[in-house]
Amino acid sequence: MSHALRVVAAEALKQHRRLFGQPLVLFSMLLWPLLTLAATYYTVLPVMESATASQRWPVAADPRRLLAFLAAGALAYTFFFSLVQSAWHFSFERVSGTLEALFLSPANRMALVIGNGAAALTQNAWLFGCFAVAAATAADVLDVAHPGMYVVAALALVVPAVAWGAFLNSLLIFSRDSAFLYTLLDDPLWFVAGVRLPLFALPVWIKAVGVAFPLTSSLVVLRGALLDRADLGDLAGALGWLVVLTVGLFLAASALLRLGEARVQRTGNLQVF
Amino acid sequence: MSTGIVTTDLRKTFPARRWQGWRRRHVAPVAAVDGLSLRVPPGQVTGLLGLNGAGKTTTIRILSTLLRPTGGTVTVDGLDVVDHAREVRRRINVISGGERMVYDRLTARENLWYFGQLYDVPRARLRTRVGELLDLVGLTEAAQLPVERYSRGMRQRLVIARGLINDPAYLLLDEPTLGLDAPIAHQLRALIAQLAADGVGVLLTSHYLAEVEQLCRHVYLIARGSLVAQGSPAQLAGQTVRRHTVRLVLSVADPAVTAALRALAARHDAELIVDVDDGGRPRFALRHPEDLVGVVVTAVVQRGATIVGLTVTPPTLEDAILTLTDPAVMAR
Amino acid sequence: MGATFVRNWRITLRAYPWTYFVGTLATGVLTIGVSLLAYRAIGGGRVGASFTAATGSADYLGYVTVGAAALTFVTRMVLWVAKAQITEYREGTLESQLLTPARRLPYLVGVTAQALSTTAVEVTVLVAVASALGVRLSVPDPLVLLAAMVAATVAVVGMSVPLSALMLAAGEAHITQNTLFTAMALLCGFTFPTSYLPAAARWLGEALPVTWALRVLRAATLPGADVDPWPAFAVCLVLGGAYLLVGLSILPPAERRALHRSARA
Repeated sequence: MSHALRVVAAEALKQHRRLFGQPLVLFSMLLWPLLTLAATYYTVLPVMESATASQRWPVAADPRRLLAFLAAGALAYTFFFSLVQSAWHFSFERVSGTLEALFLSPANRMALVIGNGAAALTQNAWLFGCFAVAAATAADVLDVAHPGMYVVAALALVVPAVAWGAFLNSLLIFSRDSAFLYTLLDDPLWFVAGVRLPLFALPVWIKAVGVAFPLTSSLVVLRGALLDRADLGDLAGALGWLVVLTVGLFLAASALLRLGEARVQRTGNLQVF
Repeated sequence: MSTGIVTTDLRKTFPARRWQGWRRRHVAPVAAVDGLSLRVPPGQVTGLLGLNGAGKTTTIRILSTLLRPTGGTVTVDGLDVVDHAREVRRRINVISGGERMVYDRLTARENLWYFGQLYDVPRARLRTRVGELLDLVGLTEAAQLPVERYSRGMRQRLVIARGLINDPAYLLLDEPTLGLDAPIAHQLRALIAQLAADGVGVLLTSHYLAEVEQLCRHVYLIARGSLVAQGSPAQLAGQTVRRHTVRLVLSVADPAVTAALRALAARHDAELIVDVDDGGRPRFALRHPEDLVGVVVTAVVQRGATIVGLTVTPPTLEDAILTLTDPAVMAR
Repeated sequence: MGATFVRNWRITLRAYPWTYFVGTLATGVLTIGVSLLAYRAIGGGRVGASFTAATGSADYLGYVTVGAAALTFVTRMVLWVAKAQITEYREGTLESQLLTPARRLPYLVGVTAQALSTTAVEVTVLVAVASALGVRLSVPDPLVLLAAMVAATVAVVGMSVPLSALMLAAGEAHITQNTLFTAMALLCGFTFPTSYLPAAARWLGEALPVTWALRVLRAATLPGADVDPWPAFAVCLVLGGAYLLVGLSILPPAERRALHRSARA
């Protein structure tokens, strides 16, 4: 176990060096999401101002609540997307030859991908996280049933995100066309996960696809706990499903790593899937 | 328990697929290593030689757990590389020629710390080990610079340090001096000899045969994945007819000189090739186990001809490799 | 110019960036998708009075669709035109290109002509997808539509040239291009009227020629919006031309700086 923790610490240093002070983090993890958030808000505003909108969706009646709803979506999406980005970057280790150096070492492979994801998440998303907390406090939009729900919301955001990162890392290091996966998990991800719309507005088949992604349920918990005064009982379903998804993602990551490495050992070719 | 790295009847075939129209079809698998048995004992340098594509790198990748053998076994101090991969990884390391395997954004010190963490080197040991290694490869002064600002030679030295971070009991060196500057290559050879003297078992593949002759106590020569010869470098070279080659270019053609050289070749039972060089001048190449340059020059000068070019090539281990792995020679 | 056109087409067909295309198309389609779903499921097929007041029309879906198509057009064109030189720089061909006596403007016109032809296909695909999703567009006034296309092209080329110089000088494209795209999506009135924006942001938008090109496009495509497109058309040409002139004057020093950097590296 302590060896696994040392691997995580090592990955944290690597991500810190890769990302800290990079202008790209400031832009892609704060400025672009904020500009996009504003554009999204104004794009849907005409619809929200229609006479019947507030009957269908009470949030529509209050521009501040609407903005908080969309901002929560942008925050969670930024967390999850930062892991897509870092996994994409991880896949370049195959090209640079360092992946081979990792496979030479006795380090636990699962610890490697989890450490990489967790470290990337903290390096990438702390800025937007702080911003969101400050903005939410200043705008006084939070409506929380119990202080413990802050912890629930934070855990529901971070733990599935780390599992998601571990899964993506495992998938992308062996992937032939990681650029395609990267594109697939950019825009379509926010669409199916209800980042910019309440889930009820989505057609059933899109909702069905969205349920498979942990971002969807993370968002339900985040919005419920922080904006809608939901307590543990209200969120039990979403939290339960998040646990299932998180465990599933970890298991899938572990299976991908085992299959991938076995295949590499057999064929000598690092591009597996 | 047997010490050292021991392979028994090692085989590795790669599944081969080829595009046929729109579909990929499996074709007959390619054997990269074919029944190889060798031993890398601790405390000495063992050589693995062969032409490109002979299976050297594949063998090293199997020994280092990166590839899984199709048949046969490999044990490291009695531990099977497939069943005890993690334990084997702790005991071995690999240094390949070139600059790969280190992170650009990290400094030399951070790279070594990073890999030390991955190898679970005890904390106190890692602290001293990083300093020792930086000293050893002469990167102490540059230790705090990110690797992206290093020269090629500095990166290669860091790659060497990375390969030593876990105090490996066995070190696999795949063309380690490839592209290194001469002084660094010289240092590395001294380091390899020292490591072996300290008890490390080293397996070395190299294109520089002088390096192999200097360092290796035992050499395996492979071709198409199979062993063709083994022994000390001297024994191996002795298994073949090693010949000096005298090459001679004259200013103008002279039938008398040609006749004299033919007679000389017949007398010594040497091989003689007569042709012309790019300038149309007569050229002679004489091959013989002894160095015939003295008698050849005497014979030419006595007949009043002018020598415009003269080279003598001594026999090398390379001749031995070429002779032993040449299919035509093997067929005989 | 013709040579640049033909060469870029050849490169395009050989290594078409499908992933990029899918990415851009997805952004457009999903923007339309969000508006469509919000309009039906939340708005109940109606929009608020502020939208009608600002645009003179209640055709929200048409507005968003035309805007998303225009954004796709602008993004893709900027990617082609502004990135042409930094791509040459990265591939090491900028130097050989600068050695030829060819001038920069014809080179850019060649790149633009080729970019227009591929982008037209991509925008058509986007509009086709939108119609398949059930968006009904009104038939545009052909003359004004043509004027809008000319205006948009002038605006894009005008903005691309200084951007290209900026990328060359910075030795970086990713951050520059995406910042421009996200800023334009907010400031220029692609998917909502600029009157929604705070005053400062609105003025920033007015300074971009793309904003004016969009006004021409709205006059052509938005039913009920009875505005005269020609003043906006004129402003767009003047602004675009100004950007182009500024760009052409800062391009040579940027090129020198890029070559200087690669010589040092």
